[in-house]
Amino acid sequence: MGLSSGAAGDGAQLCVFDLRRGQQEGQELDKILFFHPADCPILLQLSVIGLCEGIITFSRIFSPDDDCEVIESENHSHVFHQAEADIWMVLVVEKNKDSELTWRCGALQGILKEVHSLFTMFYGPIRTLLDRQPSAELARGHLCTFVTDYLSDFSAGKKLQLPTFRDCLKERGTVQMLTISREVALEVQSLTTVLGSCLGNVMCQSLVLFEDLLVSTTLPPDDTLNLYTYAVLRLTPRALSSYANSWSYLRKGTSVHAVPTSSSSNGTASVERYRNRSRDTSPGGQNQMHHYFRPLQREKLYKGKDGFVTTDFATSEIRGAVPLAPILWFQQAEDRMHLCVYQHKNITILLLTPASSLINGDEDIAHVKRHLLEHASQNIVTVEQKLSRGWGGENAYHVGGYRYLLVDPDRKVSRASPPGKVTTLSKDSLLSLNRLREEIDLEKSRAGRSDSGHDKDFEVCIRAKNNSWVIAKVTRGRELYMALEKGGETLLYASTAVEKFSNRYCEGAFSTD
Amino acid sequence: MDPNPRPCPLPNDSHPEPPEKRLATLSLRSAHLPPDFAAAEIQEDDDEGYLTAASRGGSSSCAAAAWKDEVEGLDDDKDANVGPPSPSSSGYAGERGSSLASSAGVDDPEPQPDDWARGKKHVDEDDASASWRKRKKHFFILSNSGKPIYSRYGDEHKLAGFSATLQAIISFVQNSGDHIKFVRAGKHQIVFLVKGPIYLVCISCTEESYEGLRGQLELMYGQVLLILTKVVNRYFEKNPRFDMATLLGGTDAVFLSLIHAFSWNPATFLHAYTCLPLAQSTRQAASAVLQDIADSGVLFALLMCEHKVISLVGAQKAILHPDDIFLLANFILSSESFRTSESFSPICLPRYNPMAFLYAYVHFFDENTYLTLLSTRPDAFYDLKDSRSHIQNVLSKANVLVEVQKSLRESALHIEDLPADPSSLSLSPPPQLSEDVNSQLLSSETAIGGPAGLLHFIYKSIYLDQYVSSEFPILISNPKQQKRLYKAYQKMYASMHDKATGPHKTQFRKNEDYVLFCWITQEFELYAAFNPLADKMQAIKICNRVCQWIRDLENEIFIYGAVPSLLGRYMRD
Repeated sequence: MGLSSGAAGDGAQLCVFDLRRGQQEGQELDKILFFHPADCPILLQLSVIGLCEGIITFSRIFSPDDDCEVIESENHSHVFHQAEADIWMVLVVEKNKDSELTWRCGALQGILKEVHSLFTMFYGPIRTLLDRQPSAELARGHLCTFVTDYLSDFSAGKKLQLPTFRDCLKERGTVQMLTISREVALEVQSLTTVLGSCLGNVMCQSLVLFEDLLVSTTLPPDDTLNLYTYAVLRLTPRALSSYANSWSYLRKGTSVHAVPTSSSSNGTASVERYRNRSRDTSPGGQNQMHHYFRPLQREKLYKGKDGFVTTDFATSEIRGAVPLAPILWFQQAEDRMHLCVYQHKNITILLLTPASSLINGDEDIAHVKRHLLEHASQNIVTVEQKLSRGWGGENAYHVGGYRYLLVDPDRKVSRASPPGKVTTLSKDSLLSLNRLREEIDLEKSRAGRSDSGHDKDFEVCIRAKNNSWVIAKVTRGRELYMALEKGGETLLYASTAVEKFSNRYCEGAFSTD
Repeated sequence: MDPNPRPCPLPNDSHPEPPEKRLATLSLRSAHLPPDFAAAEIQEDDDEGYLTAASRGGSSSCAAAAWKDEVEGLDDDKDANVGPPSPSSSGYAGERGSSLASSAGVDDPEPQPDDWARGKKHVDEDDASASWRKRKKHFFILSNSGKPIYSRYGDEHKLAGFSATLQAIISFVQNSGDHIKFVRAGKHQIVFLVKGPIYLVCISCTEESYEGLRGQLELMYGQVLLILTKVVNRYFEKNPRFDMATLLGGTDAVFLSLIHAFSWNPATFLHAYTCLPLAQSTRQAASAVLQDIADSGVLFALLMCEHKVISLVGAQKAILHPDDIFLLANFILSSESFRTSESFSPICLPRYNPMAFLYAYVHFFDENTYLTLLSTRPDAFYDLKDSRSHIQNVLSKANVLVEVQKSLRESALHIEDLPADPSSLSLSPPPQLSEDVNSQLLSSETAIGGPAGLLHFIYKSIYLDQYVSSEFPILISNPKQQKRLYKAYQKMYASMHDKATGPHKTQFRKNEDYVLFCWITQEFELYAAFNPLADKMQAIKICNRVCQWIRDLENEIFIYGAVPSLLGRYMRD
């Protein structure tokens, strides 16, 4: 009971529960909307959720306005995220004496935030699903397939391999951009304009990716982030050839497609019940109807001969009810849109057409596709050629001597040293930097809570016991993290290194003057 | 001085009571005894063994309980005179303890000295009170059956339900074979420490680090042990519903003083003690006479001025940990009865031996200066009294007590006095400090605070387990500012000494309040605070000068040849 089943090698648990449900004694099970692993004994599930609920309630005595974030115990960390009002997601990770299992709470919370954001993009808010169907079958069914598919990226055998201190120079929940020249920017601009007019008078939105990097977007930052994350997870050429080793920071290990068999994913009845409500206009409404709509199911996604990435979501029994392109709900843009994915070599185009404008459903989508092929192909080829010519490869953003991470939280953008280079850092340096990041996370959340309302600048520069320098600098909301292993012993050396980096690669954003 | 000390007239050394019995009797009697126990009463207790009421008569429980009764009955005028002394560089008086119940709000208003001295704690509050919930920092001690033992705010009895909840949380996790360390919710942190049958919890929104708060709970537990020893665990083994609160009856002031120290006394996180600056010859005179005594059967002899050590000596192989010095001083300084007469009290030094009592003879020579003689013998009162008399004579003749008062007034380290001579820099500074900087003279005229914006520093000698800190400049004269700086130091300390990755060698940290530097070498740790606009290179030069300055003064500000604590600890570990 309690934090784990007590068995060695439990790995991680992830649960989603609704505190508004199961309030009567004996009905506690009704709170649980999702639990990973699905074969975890019910009593243990109840025990985990019982502890979490107890601590949430207890901490509210003193902190009514702030959510419980973490329970840290000797052998486990429970990381919390209140995804929606009273709907909590908790990730439980096991520690052991081996420092390899050293986590950063913020990084783990990032996983919860990411999976919820993606879920909402496809199915709408969990609360809406629950309101629509109070028995929660639908919400449970979708959560079960979606979160399980999402977690498959972290699977290593039966366990989950979550980001550890070794990933401290990565930032989940940010977009990685490709830096392009002015000339290419004009080409991209021209492509975006053509893409925007694929549906005649109705403006289409688009994202253009090169490899796993974002080239352009017409969506607001939050929506861009969600779609970009999805693309990197499943749609880019690397993602589609998923079994190859990837340098993408979002993917870990090889995939094991564990399809849940839990009773909560019982589907046919609910699918039948909801399949006919095709005129649903609520966020994500249409996708909710199809129990087998699994946008993260890797093997159902493939690139067709026409260059479009299509899905094989529809199973024989419900064929016809599933559109060729899924409908996504974009919270920031406040619109539901059909997603069309087109790929040419290393370029991936995500084209979004407002669902409300597609009166004839699949026919309209076919029209959009035709339009894209007829009018945008040449632009796409040109842009791809130019980007490929200028592309420096995986190590394009490597800066000799530095191992760094730059984050702009407002724009939700980051850039980091290539993972292959980060692995050259010693364990001690990575542990120290991970610890420093944890401290900076706390400082940032404090600054966020303070009344002053302005960004607080701070800087920490540590010479660790292995003589490496680990550095964190936050200036006007932008963040720079750095590890320098081969350098001078004086603080002045470290300061100068930061200064040089800032002047050369950050337009002086972190420079002293 | 009390002309009639009332020690326990010790009957039979040969039949000491088992510790269990001591505690049992203690729990029954502590509440009834006057501040200075009367001989008659002691004799009554003789039947039950000398260590019962007799020994505890002057002991923590009794003395403090009586003191509590005494002070709670006082009017405000009298109250104002009660309470621990105010260290010169701490901002102590302005920060005392808690505030009025009407002061609800996350920001406790700066409490009045009277509140603190009264030793309580808003007893009208409980967990249902909005004001109680908004207190910035709670401390709880409870038993593993959920019985409240101590709460910083509110009446323990009214907090029984709350205490049971804490116990349930801890036990729930324990039942899964795990141990809960902390919970974080926004700016609140709930830190747990389990020590056998005793649970300690801190609920804080002070933005201190987990390591810092945990260290404070460790000291709280140490203070419990100092009063009761670890033998108290046996009572819980026999009776899980054992009510330990009665044993600690009247010690609220001790815990409040301890909690208060967390925000002003660097000893609480540095795990080092500080000395009163004295001329070497004066200190030698004091040390010599203490050494004489140590050679005649005293385990430890400490001469202290407030929380600063003047001299301390120990019997051969006896090791005194800085935390024990801190807890002992806190206990003595927060218990008024020690000041009014010489006292003989069983106390436990948790780092020395958590299982056994020592016997402390305490005598105040004046308002600030006091002698503590620790013996293993419960019948040592008269011997220790004679020793004290001898010490007092020698100290008077050597003018030590006058020098102590003088030092208290004059000898603090002021950052403005930092020598300007840059030539001293050539003397082997630590490698990290050896910046190749143009040796232009620093302009103190343009500096804010000390030279180059220096505001404050703490220097800890690692071998000596001693630290020295500068006085606060006018810029940090406000207690709130001082508290903020100490918190910044605490964070820096926790970061430098991180268990998994530390100790680090150097740290530079800059925020909107300060520029902070820390260097750790094999010899010392330096923590220095500068104005946030301070220039990095200039600040590094100043740190070099501080280190050199300390070396120049080391014979006056540190005690050499004191109890070999560090070395001893290594040997013991």
